[in-house]
Amino acid sequence: MKDISARLQKIAQSAPHWTELRYQKRRSQSLQVQKGLIKQAKSNVVAGLGVRVFVDGAWGFSSTTDLGLKGIEKAVKDASRCATELSGFVKKSGIKKLPEVVLARGEFMLPGVVELGNMSLEQKLATVLQAEERIRNCSSKIQSATCTYQEFFEDKIVVTSDGAQALSCLARNELRLTAVAAQQGQLVEGHHSIGRTGPWECLFNPNAVEVMSEQTAKLAADLLKAPRVSGGLSTLILSPAMVGLLAHEAIGHTVEADFVLSGSVASGKLGKMVASPLITLCDSGKVDENPFGGGDILVDDEGVKAGTTVIIGNGILMSYLHNRESAALFEVEPTGNARAWLFRDEPLIRMRNTYIKPGNTSLEEMIQSTDDGYLVDGPLGGQADATGEFMFGAQKVQKIQKGRVTDLYRGATISGQAFNVLSTVDALSKEFRLDLGSGYCGKGQPAKVDAGGPYLRCKAIIGGIQK
Amino acid sequence: MQSHYWRNSKIVEALRKEKTNLENAASKLLSFAMKAGAEAAEVCGTYTQGTRISLEKQDFHLASSGQGYELGLRILLHSKQGFSSCNSTEAKELKAIALRAVEIAGFSPPNPYYAICASDNVPTEAPSDLWDEGLHQVSLRTQKEWTRLMVAEATKDPRFRLNEGSVSIQSRLYLVMNSKATHKIEKETVAEWNLMGMAVENENITSFDYFSELSRKAPAIPEGVISSTRKFCQQVIRNLKNGPAKSSRGIVVFSPRAVVDIFLAALSYQLNGRTLVEKTGRWDRGHIGSQVLSEKITLRDMPWLIDRTGACIFDREGTPTKNVTVIEKGRLKEFLLDQYAAKALDLCSTGNASGSPSVVPSVAPHVLCLEGGEDPVDSVFKTATSAQKEFLLVRRFSGQVDPVTGDFSGVAKGSEWWHAGECCYFVRETLISGNVLDCMGSNIVAVSRETETVDSSEQAPTIATENVSVTIA
Repeated sequence: MKDISARLQKIAQSAPHWTELRYQKRRSQSLQVQKGLIKQAKSNVVAGLGVRVFVDGAWGFSSTTDLGLKGIEKAVKDASRCATELSGFVKKSGIKKLPEVVLARGEFMLPGVVELGNMSLEQKLATVLQAEERIRNCSSKIQSATCTYQEFFEDKIVVTSDGAQALSCLARNELRLTAVAAQQGQLVEGHHSIGRTGPWECLFNPNAVEVMSEQTAKLAADLLKAPRVSGGLSTLILSPAMVGLLAHEAIGHTVEADFVLSGSVASGKLGKMVASPLITLCDSGKVDENPFGGGDILVDDEGVKAGTTVIIGNGILMSYLHNRESAALFEVEPTGNARAWLFRDEPLIRMRNTYIKPGNTSLEEMIQSTDDGYLVDGPLGGQADATGEFMFGAQKVQKIQKGRVTDLYRGATISGQAFNVLSTVDALSKEFRLDLGSGYCGKGQPAKVDAGGPYLRCKAIIGGIQK
Repeated sequence: MQSHYWRNSKIVEALRKEKTNLENAASKLLSFAMKAGAEAAEVCGTYTQGTRISLEKQDFHLASSGQGYELGLRILLHSKQGFSSCNSTEAKELKAIALRAVEIAGFSPPNPYYAICASDNVPTEAPSDLWDEGLHQVSLRTQKEWTRLMVAEATKDPRFRLNEGSVSIQSRLYLVMNSKATHKIEKETVAEWNLMGMAVENENITSFDYFSELSRKAPAIPEGVISSTRKFCQQVIRNLKNGPAKSSRGIVVFSPRAVVDIFLAALSYQLNGRTLVEKTGRWDRGHIGSQVLSEKITLRDMPWLIDRTGACIFDREGTPTKNVTVIEKGRLKEFLLDQYAAKALDLCSTGNASGSPSVVPSVAPHVLCLEGGEDPVDSVFKTATSAQKEFLLVRRFSGQVDPVTGDFSGVAKGSEWWHAGECCYFVRETLISGNVLDCMGSNIVAVSRETETVDSSEQAPTIATENVSVTIA
């Protein structure tokens, strides 16, 4: 790694334009078990270099797997040619030169790389087989179970011609469980997943596999007899995982500066009250209250340190999420949100760990003080819109009547306008966790993110069956 | 104009060299695997080179170029399977992944249905023109001109906001080689353009919308870029006129895009041979020949439609592809199979092994086409209007489709509220729920004769169906 770093630095220093060189090597392994058999076991290695050049307001990008001096020089030349070709076409409204900012230098290591790497694949397989078997044995209604373990190790070097020289390493691991329950020709799935950045123990702490397996099996079996919910505007208590989806989908995307510049609903709202004063919403490269977050990074792919950004503070919109270019346009400091999935992808503004800060009540108190509503858990996918309209799926919806949790309903979709929904929040629990599971965010390229928060009570639309 | 249109002949020569490199790397990988103890081995490999010009915030943003290999190795050993992949053609790396694949097989439990077979030759009637030498040699400057056409069209009406878009050109070699003498290589060129944007007028902002289109032939691209961008922008701007839907349960009309997003997604799962093997679907072999959906439904997989994204002449395992009728007039005809599912069911592969070189093959349709019905699209709306004075036309869907149960629930995006036979306005914050198998079964009301191709991939008609819930705040 250090050899490559020195080579990249030498090339960056002699580059005629602003140049960024990003080396990445990713080793990944995954194991998928079904009915006691390995459905899929695979190992993958990718390595290469992405080069970005900035010329008169235009970006050029090139990637290569040839890490020899000639290969790197050719990639720099190709990226320069691309940028130069476009430079005459870019309008005058953009910036022509990236301003000076504080850039990361040194080694940035997240924990777990060595520990996870030293474990044999056989040991990991044994845990996966055990989890899958446990799901099948939980209930006679379980027809099949699938358990997938995936891990990846990532080494990165980011060098820029204006001074960044950051070498970073991390290991991410995740487990996904699926149970299919069957009864009288009817089939229902239950899912559970967890994703972390760190050693094996952060994913599989004592009894975690047993608990997750049993919860997954029970959910699928219980959902078999569950009816579908009646739709409409309702009082909802969202679990930390669902709050994570709300924070990520409903708010996070609308405050990504590239969306803001296109006219998203968050445009022009800095300094304005956009949510209940109970709401403080952040995006962070590392959350102190919740170590091993799935979206942890210490430095972003432009060589900017990844700190914590308060997006909404006590209900007021405080900041957007920036890369170096958008920060320059808004005349603020970059927030360390430039991320690329692979060396062959250019960095985009992406979230990391996005969360709402906890409150001071308990889940029990929140349920007891709810006359009519739903407790919503089990995140499925979600999407956001420029209008602030969001939707996300939940697989587990429980009725709350007169302060008690009663009937279970099948999965539903939650929707609403982000800022309107956050304005209705009237209670937040003390319990807090990042809990997006094995979630990835898609924006042309994937990004490993995490999200969470406390239990949160709000009003939103729940999609269901009309009578 | 023509002076900068084409690159030079060095590009053609360079691609020949890359083809040789890819074939040599695949041969070496097979050889390393067999020497490491594999009983059978299969290599899937690609070489891809391409350029892309990206737009952001109404403007040119970035030009990029890249090329690279991807190689995946699957091996069998005592009925056990191992898989490993990399993006290098260096012998040292290839040897390492061969050893890794054999190591993985070593601790994997055996499964009698794993298979690596000799494949038949691609039939002579298969298309041979996924490649356009002209498109392969297009210069970055010409590509920039095509992108400029897109920007010019998208910025004509100031109400349309171009969030992002791109024009990309890619040339690709796709190879499958195995130890049973299969050796197939296909080359394809494709130009793809896409746009994502919204309309803004004062405080009124529409939903994001997007489109994607492709062409494999250079001469068709400039006009294609202009016409598809114009159509898209007009559609997005129409969304500015908005109003409320009404909560109801009854007839809802689904546009071809919504049919693809909701119905074809769930049917792909139900018709997948691996779903049949794992018994996690609604239908089993006993259903073949029986009525499983409305007789208005005929569904085919058509991999030889060359202007579609999934077009191919052989699959991820080297098996020649063919047109497969999976549902005909509502009767289940056959499932989509790869070699694994075929062996487990004692049938032949339908050529539907799918996936990139870096993943183990799975089953997927290549180009799903839902046939049109008998009525013109106007009469679909008339039928819906005569049964129900007001209804929702779902243009796009953002939500969840549970492929196992067929339940769907999500937001109707860019969708129209119809009253007395006319579109009144576009709705927001409107959720729909229903069940795919019911919608495509006894609840179907009408299927349009006209079909549309969605994002240069699947094809579907407009469908009206009953018993769908619409929920608003």
